[in-house]
Amino acid sequence: MRKILLAPLDPVHDIGLKMIARGLFDAGYETHLLPPDLTTEEIIEQTLQFHPAVLLLSRTLGYGVAENLARMVDLADAAGLRDHMKIGVGGMAIRSELAAELGFDAGFGQGTSIEQVICFIEGTEYNPEVQRSGKTKRNLTDGYDYAWRHAGIAAKVDRITDQIIDWAVQRTSPGVERAKLRDAAWDVDLWRARMGVGDFYKHYAPLCGELPMNFYGGGQLHPKTRRFSQQEVDGLEQYLTETKLRMSVQSLRHKRPGPLVFNQYGTGCPFMDIGHILASEAWGADGVIHFDPSWGARTEGLLDGFLTHQEDGTVITPANLNRIQRALEPSTLWQVRAHRGLNTPETVVLAGKIGADLSKINICYGSLAAGTDPARMTVDGYHAILYAKQYGMPFDVVTNEELSGVPAHKAFAGMLIVAGLARKLGARPILQPLFACSPEVMVNGLMEDNYIDFNAAKVIALRSILNAPLWPGAPVGFLTHTEDRVQSAMTTSLHACLAATLNVDAVSIASTDEAYSGGPISAPAKIDTLRAVQEGFRFFGRAGIAPTDQAQVFADQLVDGIEKTLTQVLACGDFVAALHAGCLGSREEGAHPGRAGKDSVKSKTTI
Amino acid sequence: MSQSLEKVMDAVDVETLLVCDSEAEGRSLMLDILKGFGFTDVDVVFAQFEGPGVRIRGRAYVHRPADKYHWLQQAGKAG
Repeated sequence: MRKILLAPLDPVHDIGLKMIARGLFDAGYETHLLPPDLTTEEIIEQTLQFHPAVLLLSRTLGYGVAENLARMVDLADAAGLRDHMKIGVGGMAIRSELAAELGFDAGFGQGTSIEQVICFIEGTEYNPEVQRSGKTKRNLTDGYDYAWRHAGIAAKVDRITDQIIDWAVQRTSPGVERAKLRDAAWDVDLWRARMGVGDFYKHYAPLCGELPMNFYGGGQLHPKTRRFSQQEVDGLEQYLTETKLRMSVQSLRHKRPGPLVFNQYGTGCPFMDIGHILASEAWGADGVIHFDPSWGARTEGLLDGFLTHQEDGTVITPANLNRIQRALEPSTLWQVRAHRGLNTPETVVLAGKIGADLSKINICYGSLAAGTDPARMTVDGYHAILYAKQYGMPFDVVTNEELSGVPAHKAFAGMLIVAGLARKLGARPILQPLFACSPEVMVNGLMEDNYIDFNAAKVIALRSILNAPLWPGAPVGFLTHTEDRVQSAMTTSLHACLAATLNVDAVSIASTDEAYSGGPISAPAKIDTLRAVQEGFRFFGRAGIAPTDQAQVFADQLVDGIEKTLTQVLACGDFVAALHAGCLGSREEGAHPGRAGKDSVKSKTTI
Repeated sequence: MSQSLEKVMDAVDVETLLVCDSEAEGRSLMLDILKGFGFTDVDVVFAQFEGPGVRIRGRAYVHRPADKYHWLQQAGKAG
């Protein structure tokens, strides 16, 4: 057992040294910690008696301290101690360069880890990457059996989803046909090997709308997009090679195993996205979410090639997705959203082939708050869920229609219908309640006292209905953010901490630019909230946030409202008709059945 | 563009407290400061006026998405 002597060369401060002493003792060393306020001569005397392998000193820098430290080294030299003993010094503002200048074998500044000190003692190289890259990918749905816990709701969802399946299985759409073609005839391995995709586009283009048709027919690009130059592509490869050599990833979690933290990217440019993703990963994000432009969801068909876009949202093309996927750290979960438009099933197929871990599908949100025709969204959503199962991709069922004004119980009823449908089809849905100060909350004063109870109630309510993973989003704290960077980071962190103490599986967080609409989100704004969440997780550890009794009252009301909503959907007799009738969100509540893809659903027997 | 600015991934933010009489004056001052630094694509992200002045954050975009990023062209060169 190696002997370590620890001496605070300071009149008062020895806390850091005590922590190091404890860590070394736990690691199996024989440690001896001297009291503060000894003279250099007294420390040398103790060293001669104890015969340590290593002497560790601590000292806060101040006037005259450097001279004192240098004197310590001189005395140790004179006593012949340096022949068989190493001396290290640590403390606030100590840098390794300064320590070396003064004659020490090592210097340790603020934030020194015990592993770093052990490496010094043992004479081995300290590799911080080993300490910081211990993250591995995790499947958010592991451990959930999707058992219903509320018999009444289960029975209603069962009848509604039977009706959806009976209806959808007989129908198709251009989106479904493109997905079928992409699944059967687009070989990702051949494409990656630059061996072409055969006559895929010959069959694909006729299934597309005007924009992709012009693209495939005459090379015409969307006016806000351009192709990258070869110089830019080469520059990216060089940048990635250099950055990956330095890359390591932090963990935001402290003592809890979860939640995993996701943030969204979608600057419009896949190369800028990669820069943002690397920053997010380095500062601790566990997953990233691909955000595509709003026009992409209203366009029949996907484009191709390396395309950059001047506005929000990065265009979904095989090349864009592929380059982003290859730039990800091995531990990073990657979600490609498919939830809201005319390319839902094909996006799931493409994302699955390229290697996405997760997708996002919600028939009700896509129909009521994202502009897609309810019949089209239903048939496309049904097939998208089947493809999500085929490609082994769990998906979240987002409830952002709440942001339009749809009450939570109606949004949740819709979410549970889609989750129930997925469950029946053998897919792995993840429930995504919105942690937000939504219009319903504002109008009814549901958060007048605090932001905790109503959000906690959502988790309590959903857990009482279905044993499924929970991923509050998207992002948490929606409509509580302002343009104030400190406020925005704070509210994100507190909502994430609430989610953590409710033991959910993941959270999506915004940047501190969430409420700023004057320009693109900046990389430092993403780091702001990651740091704030990390600090929040550190603060709470395994301690909790206690909702008031009102949370259970809200939860009971939510469950009751969900069941009544499902009763109304059943009374309609037809799911698509129920969407049009406002059962899952009415026009008065801000839900408007979409028109994109209207009349594009065909019966399979007529095509 | 200076070699240092070429290393900016996307934007430079400037946060400070400006001694002034109103939020509008503070916003104008911040834009002047950013333009004085030589930036052209400038905006005020946040401003909060209280008696002593305005707590303000200005932003200058050095690289917007779809621009040609100097930090990509500079990859491989000594920083």
